Amino acid sequence: MISAITTNLPIFVIIIPLFIAFILPTFSRRMKLVEGVVISTETLWLLGAGYLASVVLLQNGTPIIYNMGGWAAPWGIELKVDSLGAFFMIVVTCINLPVALFAKGNLTKEVGAKERVTRFYVLLLLLGGAMVGMALTNDLFNVFVLVEVATLSCCGLVSANSNPRASEAAFKYLILATLGSTFVLGGIGFILNITGYLNMGFAHQEMVQVWQNSPHAIWLAMSFVLIGFGVKSALFPVHVWLPDAHSNAPTPASAILSGLAVKGYIICFLKFMYTVFGQNLMQQFNMHKILVLAGMIAIIAGSLFALTQNELKRRLAYSTVAQIGYLFLGLGLMNTKGLTGTLFYLFSHALIKSSLFLAAGTMIAATGKKKISDLAGVGRKMPITMGVFTIGILGLIGIPLFSGFVGKWYLLLGSLESGNILAAIVIIVGSVLCAAYLLPIIRIAYFEPAPEKDLRDPALPQKIALIMLAAGVIILGILPGSILELASRAAAELLMIQ
Amino acid sequence: MRDFIFKRIAAIIIPFICIYGFYVILHGASAAGGSFAGGIILGLAAIVFSTIYGLKKGKKKFPEKVLFCIESYGTLFYGIIGMIGIINGAPFLANKLAGIDLGIPGTLTSGGLIGLLGLGVGIRVANTLLILFFTMEGADS
Amino acid sequence: MKILLEKLIVNYPYTIAVFLFAIGALIVITKSNLFKKLIGINIMESAIFLMFISSGNIRGAVEPVLNSAHSDLAYINPLPSALMLTGIVVSVSVTAFALALIIRLYKSYGTVDALKIAEMRNEVTKE
Repeated sequence: MISAITTNLPIFVIIIPLFIAFILPTFSRRMKLVEGVVISTETLWLLGAGYLASVVLLQNGTPIIYNMGGWAAPWGIELKVDSLGAFFMIVVTCINLPVALFAKGNLTKEVGAKERVTRFYVLLLLLGGAMVGMALTNDLFNVFVLVEVATLSCCGLVSANSNPRASEAAFKYLILATLGSTFVLGGIGFILNITGYLNMGFAHQEMVQVWQNSPHAIWLAMSFVLIGFGVKSALFPVHVWLPDAHSNAPTPASAILSGLAVKGYIICFLKFMYTVFGQNLMQQFNMHKILVLAGMIAIIAGSLFALTQNELKRRLAYSTVAQIGYLFLGLGLMNTKGLTGTLFYLFSHALIKSSLFLAAGTMIAATGKKKISDLAGVGRKMPITMGVFTIGILGLIGIPLFSGFVGKWYLLLGSLESGNILAAIVIIVGSVLCAAYLLPIIRIAYFEPAPEKDLRDPALPQKIALIMLAAGVIILGILPGSILELASRAAAELLMIQ
Repeated sequence: MRDFIFKRIAAIIIPFICIYGFYVILHGASAAGGSFAGGIILGLAAIVFSTIYGLKKGKKKFPEKVLFCIESYGTLFYGIIGMIGIINGAPFLANKLAGIDLGIPGTLTSGGLIGLLGLGVGIRVANTLLILFFTMEGADS
Repeated sequence: MKILLEKLIVNYPYTIAVFLFAIGALIVITKSNLFKKLIGINIMESAIFLMFISSGNIRGAVEPVLNSAHSDLAYINPLPSALMLTGIVVSVSVTAFALALIIRLYKSYGTVDALKIAEMRNEVTKE
């Protein structure tokens, strides 16, 4: 019995959340039961992901291969739990649990009736299952299907808010994201036509041998994939959907969208670039230079846009655009330190941005106002919320002893190792700009006179969720340990593929 | 559309549409076609019924509760069929490895579990199409 | 030039796919009507489906169903067609969701024009 569960765990971590999501609507009237089922599923999910990651870590990098239906690789669909997959699985489950806990008993004000709240949980679980699937699958077409599942659930989460602005943002997001997935599908079509395989490993082996026959087609495939995933993960010039969508969604949804959803597409992009095309082809077509350049532009432009925003959630959303720039910059550095930095920064940004959005949502719900200037004196009335917010800000800026520092440090080392001084300067300037647009919030919240209004910290589950995320930020900053090792091993594995 | 001719013709045709839909679903394993195509045909039969006999009668025939239950448990059905492989010590969604007798190639049961899966998926597709139709149709009132 | 033209004509499904893709992208970018945007997305997706399916097609081959009468003929590749069946399902679900959103937008703003909706929203925020 136990061995049956452990050998089939790679498929269970994908399908159990999906199936639980589908049964939830049948008992949507009993809210307590729904919430209990969701939270226990998330906990079990975290345990399963942790078990798989520890197995991968103990095996010294030999991946766990799972063949669906018993059909071996080129014919059947293959799930591959390598270091990268295990790492992203941990990220997804670590963010999903606190967000589900935060949503407990807290959603009816923003979302509406009980059935709508259940639908919110359905979409949350679907999004999580699709994200884990993206990390584990080794099949190109599966990636497309899971990306579409994730996109539709994201749009559903954005439109869960009943005000018309949310529907408008969701429509904009839906159109642009579908545009992106059409490009991704086109890219997959080119890869299938060039190589004849949909399995990533086999496609790569074939690609290395035949790429000289049709370099234009490879270039086209690469640019299609870049545009597609670039739109979906809000790379700078095509980020237009992100601020609207993330600032109009309900609070837990904007936390999960900003913290996780955009990261899943980056992991997919990473897998396409490094395991299908390989680093030699990337260098051949100068893809790494494009990525570094796009990342640098995104860091500077996103930070400058964030400086001009007055609404709290919009400022955080533009800050996400800037941080996405860091991740793309690290992808283009093509060395172990840069990739490790990207992966670790991905985890730390997921923790930080979700805690920031949850804390910001709590403050907005308490004060009833969206502007930053309305937060005066909140810090003394809501010590835990603002404390978590402060920890998040310090982590995002990259102060030592917080998780953001480790990621930025590795990115800095990576850019110096590849001899790109400009990238190193941009990373530091980005930190300074980040301090410039986030520190004023702390000043307003702590050092300005408080309003007469009665403000209080949220209820217990929300407090636990906030403290879990903040603790994650600090623990990753002080003892990055096994997570950092998993990230660096994933980076080394990706760079071993020529 | 409360025309006598429409209603008579629909009453004659709809059973045949349903039979054709089930035929396409069940032969998906051994011939062209399959659960998506067959499910669409089944769903269209239900949509034809509710356009001609009126939305009220259609909703009475296919109550919303039942539709939502099929929506949820149809997906679970897929998972349960997949679990047969795991129970028999083979991977998820295994067919022959799970000890299913496949019989003679080309016959109806030669797909093994695929036939059952197809039936579940087909009914789920028809159901989804119907839900979409009811949602969109009821939206402008 | 002549060779290029010949290639374009011989591989006409791909040429049509490129044109359809461009037309769809143009509609999505330039039109402000929400329905037209949605139709543009659908045209783009059809272009990709056409590209996939024509890449699996072999002229003069038969469908891949075991049949003793055609045993000497080649089979077309069923994989791209099967993939595109899933792609069509995905595109249908996107379309349905987008239509539901359009209905909600129409109910709250009374128009389906993206520019007018943006104008009305800006007026509301100014007040």
